[in-house]
Amino acid sequence: MIEPVALQDFFITFFSSALIIMAGASYALLFAWSKVNTNLWIKIAAYCSYSILILSVMELTRAAQFQGYWLIISLVMVIGYFFAPIGIWYLCVKTHSDLTITTEEDTL
Amino acid sequence: MNTSGINGVIQKATALYETSQVCMNDFKSWVQLDSSHLSDGQRLAVKYFIVAVILFFAQILFGLLAATQFIFPGFLYEILDFSVNRMIHINAMIVWMLYGFIGCVYWFLEDESGTEIVGLKLGNIAFWVLTGAVTLVVLVYLLVQIGPGKDSSLWFINEGREYIEAPRWADIGIVIVMLIFFYNVVATFIKGKWSGIAGVLTLDLVALAGLYVAGMFYMTNITHEQYWWWWVIHLWVEATWEVLVGVIMAWSLMKLLGVRRKIIQTWLYIEVALMFGSGILGLGHHYFWIGTPEYWLTIGGFFSALEPIPLVAMVVHAVYDTGANAFKNSNHPALAWIIAQAFGNFFGAGVWGFMHTLPQINMFTHGTQWSASHGHLAFFGAYATINIAFFYLAIQHWRGDVWMGSDSQNTWRWKWALGLLNGGVLGMTIALLIAGYEQSFIERAVEGSTWGGYFTAQNHPSFQSAMVWRLFFGGVTFAGFVLLVWDLLTIGKGETRLAPEIIEMR
Repeated sequence: MIEPVALQDFFITFFSSALIIMAGASYALLFAWSKVNTNLWIKIAAYCSYSILILSVMELTRAAQFQGYWLIISLVMVIGYFFAPIGIWYLCVKTHSDLTITTEEDTL
Repeated sequence: MNTSGINGVIQKATALYETSQVCMNDFKSWVQLDSSHLSDGQRLAVKYFIVAVILFFAQILFGLLAATQFIFPGFLYEILDFSVNRMIHINAMIVWMLYGFIGCVYWFLEDESGTEIVGLKLGNIAFWVLTGAVTLVVLVYLLVQIGPGKDSSLWFINEGREYIEAPRWADIGIVIVMLIFFYNVVATFIKGKWSGIAGVLTLDLVALAGLYVAGMFYMTNITHEQYWWWWVIHLWVEATWEVLVGVIMAWSLMKLLGVRRKIIQTWLYIEVALMFGSGILGLGHHYFWIGTPEYWLTIGGFFSALEPIPLVAMVVHAVYDTGANAFKNSNHPALAWIIAQAFGNFFGAGVWGFMHTLPQINMFTHGTQWSASHGHLAFFGAYATINIAFFYLAIQHWRGDVWMGSDSQNTWRWKWALGLLNGGVLGMTIALLIAGYEQSFIERAVEGSTWGGYFTAQNHPSFQSAMVWRLFFGGVTFAGFVLLVWDLLTIGKGETRLAPEIIEMR
């Protein structure tokens, strides 16, 4: 069962939803950059972005009145957006260094 | 009519034909394109690209007419109604992008398979049949705008289904043309050599042709009807088209930046897995309000939340490549449009999509200008941009692989075209976002989706001024389109430096 967004929460729902994607991408970008450049501030900025993401998810959870199994979506967003860039970075490293990961060159 | 009258008509027709021939020859000598650089498959691809650009023009033209009618409802009333303008605006967009995709595949098919296209003659016939059918369908749309809805009108005039209004005879024709295209692709790879790109493309084309069939049969229950209709609208766009773009992008990046095939193919598989994993059941966000069981609310909400993950993957990989590789590029406009694709796809599909996709808010925004806002940026960002990037790749090869870098002549044209087109579409998106916000707030939430609420929202100053801004930015987009066509016709003209030589020197 879903509970529609209340009238006064319209803007914050749109805003927090957009911010989840923006903060998620920003965290991914800064996380990847911190791997290329060892500057500590980039890593701190990455975790700041992730903190914004958590706050945005919390705000969306409140505004969109998530309850019951809908809370799983909030949890998936918090965990998923944290680990997705790490997993994807690992895949980047593996696909660029380990040539046996794919099939024969040029053919299936 | 007497003999002299017929002779007069024949003379006029002959004179018109000769004049058009002279104009065509003047045009050819002005553009100075040498088709000896093209293979047979690439010549067929160019035909698709030309029609794609003409339909792109039609999309913008009819969009401008429809946008004008939002501000002046009496404009062209009962001559060219809003419903017709909107229909052609959207149909032209779908068809020009399809033409672009088919052209892209024909362009690289011989290169990728290492052999000539097997059914080239059949491919040419299919092109003319499809183009003739599209022309006829549009003419019927324009000439028969209103009338009774009967079995005959369904077969010959308009099927009446939003976005896929083409009459059934044209639907059958589209499927046949897609099957010919499929045959050409598969038979050519069988004759030549297979690759990861070839495998993904083949499977995707099965879905591309197969899913269209879901939009061709009728069911008396409106819920069932809508259920299958979304298979075409959503699964075409958010699954098969996305994969097709992935394939085109994979080949383009190998040519444009020299990325290794092994890496590109691995990432193509990962992207396809992510897109199918989230996109297929993301279909659920269209099933919220059509009478399907309640579990679709959860499925749609959950998978819609996952849909931005491929975009996050794209961001990480872009940073990785920037740090790990120093790519050299000889076609700056193509690369600029590919970068525009990355941003447009991220914002249009990711940010604008997720903002209003969860059912708790979607029950207010569904079908308002919010959807139009998301649609404008997502379609332009994800699909128009990659087609335009490919047009630049094609024109570079057509000119004999000349250098198209930052120190080329008249680079302002492609830069301004890029800026005006992207700025125009973004401006329209913001204007529609404001209109959609107001509409969902007043019409849906405050007044409860009543007729009174609809008219209150339509007459609200913020809605009306948003429509004016949308028209203005539509004009900006049109200016960008004109500049883009001018640039595509002239870029590289007179350039003597070859791209591989310049890359070697730097």
